Amino acid sequence: MKNRFTQLRYWLLLPVLLAAQLLVAQTTITGHITDQADGAAVIGATILEKGTTNGTASDLDGNFTLKISSADATLVITYTGYSAQEVAVAGRTSIDIKMGEDATVLDQVVVVGYGTQRKSDLTGSVGTVKTADIERIATASIDQALQGKIAGVYVSPASGEPGAGAIIRIRGTGTLNNSSPIYVIDGMITYDASFVNPQDVQSVEVLKDASACAIYGSRGSNGVILITTKNGKKREKAVVSLSSYYGTQQITRKIDMMNAAEFAQSYNELTNSPYYPDPASLGEGTDWQDEIFRKAPIGNLQISANGGTERSSYNISANYFKQDGVLKNGDFQRVTVRFNNEFAVNNWLTLGNNLAYSNSKRNIAPGGVVGTAYRMPPVFAPYDSAGKFTDPTSPFGLALANPAADLFYKSDNTRNGDRFFGTIYGDIKLFKYFTFRSNFGFDLDNNRGRTFSPKFQVSASQLNKDDRLYISTAQQRDWVWEQTLRFEREWGSHRLSALAGYTSEYRRYEGFGAGRSSFPGTSSEILYLNAGNDTTQINGGSQHDEALVSYLFRTNYVFSERYLLTVSARVDQASRFSRANRTAVFPSFSLGWNLGQESFIENLRIFDRLKLRGSYGILGNQNSIRDRYYPSFGLIVAGQYAVFGAGESLNQGATLVSLGNPDLRWETTRQTDIGLEIGLLNNRLSAEIDWYKRVTYDIVGAIPIPDYIGSQDDPIVNSAEVQNTGVDLTLNWRQAGRVSWNLGAIASPVRNKVIKFNDQKAEILASFIQGEPATRSIPGEPIGSFYGFKSNGVFQSAEEAMTSPRLGNETAGDLRYVDINGDGKIDGLDRINLGSPIPTLTYGFTAGVDFAGFDLAADLFGVSGNKVYNSKKTFRFAVYNWEQSVFDGRWTPENTTATKPRITNGGHNYRVSDYYLEDGSFVRLRSLVLGYSLPTRWLQRAAISKFRVYASGFNLWTSQKYSGYSPEFGNDSSSYEVGFDNGGYPITKSWQFGLEVTF
Amino acid sequence: MKHAFFLQHKLLLTVGVVLLAATSCQKEFLDRKPLGQLTYDTFFENEDQAVYATNAIYNQFRQWDCISLPWIGLTDIISDDADKGSTPTDALYMLELDDFTFDATNTAFGSVWRGYYQAIGRANIAIQRLPDVNMDAAKRNRLIGEAKFLRAYAYFLLVQWFGDLPVITTPLKADEYYTQTRQPKEAVYTQIEQDLNDAIAVLPKKSEYSSNDLGRATSGAARGILAKLYMVKRDFVNAERVCLEIINSNQYSLLPRYADNFLQVGENGAESVFEINAAALPPQDGVIGAGASPYNMIQGVRGNPNLGWGFNRPSDNLVSAYESGDPRREATVIYVNEVLPDGVTQVQDNPEIVNERYNQKAWVPPHTGLQDNGPGNIRVLRYADILLLCAEAKNENSKSAEALPYLNQVRKRARGTNNFILQDVAITDQTMLRERIYRDRRSELAMEQQRWFDLARWGRLSTVLTAAGKTNFVPGKNELMPIPQSEVDLTGGKIQQNASY
Repeated sequence: MKNRFTQLRYWLLLPVLLAAQLLVAQTTITGHITDQADGAAVIGATILEKGTTNGTASDLDGNFTLKISSADATLVITYTGYSAQEVAVAGRTSIDIKMGEDATVLDQVVVVGYGTQRKSDLTGSVGTVKTADIERIATASIDQALQGKIAGVYVSPASGEPGAGAIIRIRGTGTLNNSSPIYVIDGMITYDASFVNPQDVQSVEVLKDASACAIYGSRGSNGVILITTKNGKKREKAVVSLSSYYGTQQITRKIDMMNAAEFAQSYNELTNSPYYPDPASLGEGTDWQDEIFRKAPIGNLQISANGGTERSSYNISANYFKQDGVLKNGDFQRVTVRFNNEFAVNNWLTLGNNLAYSNSKRNIAPGGVVGTAYRMPPVFAPYDSAGKFTDPTSPFGLALANPAADLFYKSDNTRNGDRFFGTIYGDIKLFKYFTFRSNFGFDLDNNRGRTFSPKFQVSASQLNKDDRLYISTAQQRDWVWEQTLRFEREWGSHRLSALAGYTSEYRRYEGFGAGRSSFPGTSSEILYLNAGNDTTQINGGSQHDEALVSYLFRTNYVFSERYLLTVSARVDQASRFSRANRTAVFPSFSLGWNLGQESFIENLRIFDRLKLRGSYGILGNQNSIRDRYYPSFGLIVAGQYAVFGAGESLNQGATLVSLGNPDLRWETTRQTDIGLEIGLLNNRLSAEIDWYKRVTYDIVGAIPIPDYIGSQDDPIVNSAEVQNTGVDLTLNWRQAGRVSWNLGAIASPVRNKVIKFNDQKAEILASFIQGEPATRSIPGEPIGSFYGFKSNGVFQSAEEAMTSPRLGNETAGDLRYVDINGDGKIDGLDRINLGSPIPTLTYGFTAGVDFAGFDLAADLFGVSGNKVYNSKKTFRFAVYNWEQSVFDGRWTPENTTATKPRITNGGHNYRVSDYYLEDGSFVRLRSLVLGYSLPTRWLQRAAISKFRVYASGFNLWTSQKYSGYSPEFGNDSSSYEVGFDNGGYPITKSWQFGLEVTF
Repeated sequence: MKHAFFLQHKLLLTVGVVLLAATSCQKEFLDRKPLGQLTYDTFFENEDQAVYATNAIYNQFRQWDCISLPWIGLTDIISDDADKGSTPTDALYMLELDDFTFDATNTAFGSVWRGYYQAIGRANIAIQRLPDVNMDAAKRNRLIGEAKFLRAYAYFLLVQWFGDLPVITTPLKADEYYTQTRQPKEAVYTQIEQDLNDAIAVLPKKSEYSSNDLGRATSGAARGILAKLYMVKRDFVNAERVCLEIINSNQYSLLPRYADNFLQVGENGAESVFEINAAALPPQDGVIGAGASPYNMIQGVRGNPNLGWGFNRPSDNLVSAYESGDPRREATVIYVNEVLPDGVTQVQDNPEIVNERYNQKAWVPPHTGLQDNGPGNIRVLRYADILLLCAEAKNENSKSAEALPYLNQVRKRARGTNNFILQDVAITDQTMLRERIYRDRRSELAMEQQRWFDLARWGRLSTVLTAAGKTNFVPGKNELMPIPQSEVDLTGGKIQQNASY
């Protein structure tokens, strides 16, 4: 009875599966894995039923439970640094396995698109990050946790805003458009993985080459990030885990601005007047950065329970994450709940689900104050003597806004999100070798925004004449239905698996917003839309939908464990294109050779593992038209009002303002990859090196057409071609034993260049600053290369300026631009490419050591070869504060050996030039963790299996040449406009203390 | 086990049927049309849509590219009427226009070229598609007439700036994008003349429009542009004829007070022949300032009161060009410490600007939506302009005596009740009268974006601008603006650059 009750309780955890309660006997094996040398438990070893992809991993005590197809099965046990073992079950239900360190084959299971594969059989390039490496980073975003972990995967934080994600580039910037990869979370495709709680993640696999990505066809060209969430294991007692951390964040550094004395001196020099009779007396003044930034807490609490019964496994988790912004008034909090279940109804039917719900709430601080604080002269205090906000506009101009006032008046801005995301699937075993799976995935995303701007006036330009409340909602509904049939067979020295599938998808978005003004009060009970004045109401909506139908095919063939072949293809049909261009085929072909298994290599007794592989394939980039749902239609745009009549009323106008292109097709990438995997010294040292070449062609872009055509926007066409070539290098050293330690390094040099635009276009100028382009993309050079004048010191005297080639009326103390074409004058023709915002090398190091219960781990991440344009320094719409570096060494009539220009405010010295270009290289200590786990024997009486405390640091140390907060700036929309520091939300560093308890 | 086998097959069968069904309706599943939005294929199906398509042309004329910095830059600032204004370093490309240091990459040229060709593009769509719309024929003809008038006006501006032009009268197809060439300016004139004559034939007189439609193109407006075209072509006989047609239509008269023309009360008033209408309206359809133009914002007082950016500073040359006591000067220029026409607000000194002065004709009182919700109509054609053109044409046609009443009508209104100033002109010597008319034309129309075009058609750009201190002006080159460099580049030189650029 008690047993029945327990089972019932588990079934209640399986909301999808309640009906399925058939009792059929199963073959299950349990085991215990220990180190042959010291008898210690081997944690995380992979146990696989031979000839299948059915497998599990050993737990913290070295135990495992695995459901196997028959009592005659053979288990393959693998673990990095140990030799793989094959053990015949031979009717036993419990097995003890000792592992030795003289491995010859390393065989782990890797998640790939629509399935899993042995690492040794893999012919594609796939990088893996496991849960332990993810949990080390204190962040809400799974993206951020990937930085510096996988060769060829470049991760740059989007900003330091609470809950912010990251920009990811896999193997370079593949296109002029959006170059972000897609995410596949437990089989469900999405562009936005921000709701995923990193602590729910079992592993992240990054598919990098064509062989791995082609199964995702039109969405594969920028790489694929597969996220597998944790599940319990069948026949395992329930494990309840509790983990928590709490810490403090702050900005990584401050920008050195002029203090009040220096500003006053500079202002006197600027205006050539003694406006401030005694600048030095003003002293330090206000450091506006101190007025807007703060130390902010970050905290996380996770409770999970997982385990399994005879025929089911489950994992339930709940997580609460809260992060306050280092910019005052902003915060982010998120509750995530996850239910993962699998239930074997009988010996041929298995049902399962992976369901996640998340609720997030974000209070958005007015991010613009980072820029305003940067610009604000230090001679002001935030408040005047009466406690009112200071009006900073006199005498410096109306473009100044008091950042303290902006923070105060513009912080009532929230976003609330509900997301329900998951998959429900059924597996049917058919005949002997086939498995059919029907998988339904859904993503329901509801967002609500609320912004209230109160009425206020600080100055003639910093004011809001009437209050305004704006409420918006956005609803996204996606579903995917996939049918796949899998074939697996092993005979003799042959192993063959194949997959065929049919999928259909539909996405729909609807947004709505409305606002009113003139509210009768300002208390929170009053501030609802209906209370506003209805004559001030506005509303609007936007909506789109799309459908995709696909056919998939993949086959893997292994002969004699040595010769590997993978062929895959996906046929995508997309609603975005006209019927004629709707269908596209994305094939790939790859070969592998496990040289290590050849006797002539084995005889060398050097390599434990040696594999050579190569792949070639064609992939599409749906992201290229991500925001263009109906690109083949010419759209009639309403709202082109004309004003007529004595009463000056609006008369609706509508016409074709932009041309459609029914000939548009997929942007496509050809990718070639050659890889070598090596295991040495009993597999303690493993290395993986890949060379790749990605050529993206038919790049979708708005290619300029002559303006006489009269189109408001340039039509979208397939045109440009971009190439990335590079190497991904991964090295790992892993030593198991009483003191186990590991070292890892990744390095990814990459070279990006534009090959061509269309025939009508030789260059693309973009990122205009004060009407001047700051980037130029031309064939042969990287996308979005910085473009402007080259400076060479300053004119030390007026005579020197008069007699030199000049742009305009430069005089003593102004920047001297180089006359590149030597025609005796400086003009637009003297601008050149000044460098690229794309790093030529990204690299990372990891190190970890475990000894006597202590664990210590560190991650370093770095980039080099990229430039950064300090554009915030060039914005001058009034007299703004200058960076301190402008002060020291500036030209003055007294200092005529200066290397820096005189104090100016706009004009010549602020043209786009290399004077504002800085080195973007940096190395950062991404994480540092020190933990201690209490010995198991102390805990057993308390029924605790693990008790660990740790301290961790995030971004604690950075070495950078750049003068701003950080040389990383998120820009996900255009490849032409990367690497500009416009004064965004800076990234943070933090300290956390954490606790993990497992019962 | 057997049971399971059958269940398995039933499941398979079900899945198979569903799959088949899914595959068979796949075409419909994949045919997705824009939601909540008409497309080019589904437009032009009723009268409302015909009206919308026509209104959208008017809309373009109050957009940034058409009537903002590039517009005042290439009319007032580039002439001797105005300096750049604003703070010394704001919008340096405008300074290049003032100083004649520009080249073909100056964004002002690209702006007006793009802006007015977009207006032409919108007109071409309406002119091509409207004939097929099932609607009242008279109204359809009127709408097509409006579109033709607007197209002619856009070409007229472009041809005066750039000379020879690609003449595009139907929406281009993809294979025609890069193949256009510049037609001789005479061909452009012919196209303008034809459009205007077509428009005159179908457009109502000003008084024939309902008050709700005030501001739409009239036959009088079309004649006004036609008169100007004849003046440019130096076809003074036709110019005189058309001016007299306007005058004799009895649709227009001068407002008693000159300054009222530029206040809200003067909008679409008795003197107005054509205006680009704009209004500062409460938000509509989620758009704030849906009726606005940036015209007032760019020229408004910068500082206190803060009404705008302060561009287009009336030049010293202009200020000293008026006859003694001419009240039109005070109605044209705002000085520091002056009380604005609202009778209350006094302009404060702004230390960021040297020798502050503003264009009073672009002044508007504070309004909802702040600066960028500019409410002022852009006065394209005033009756006073027509009277002066008539005087000029008659004088050129050797009817100097007949010219005088038209000139004096304008002067009389300007002097108001003060009989000591701006006395009637009685000169009948053609050459001398010409100078009087030219001078009055400047005083009457200063800062109304006419000066450059007048100097150009008089052939006086070089002499006048050089005398005004614009020593960088190169005769034989700067009479025409450079074609935007991007047009030359994009067409691989099929669009040829003007001489010496």
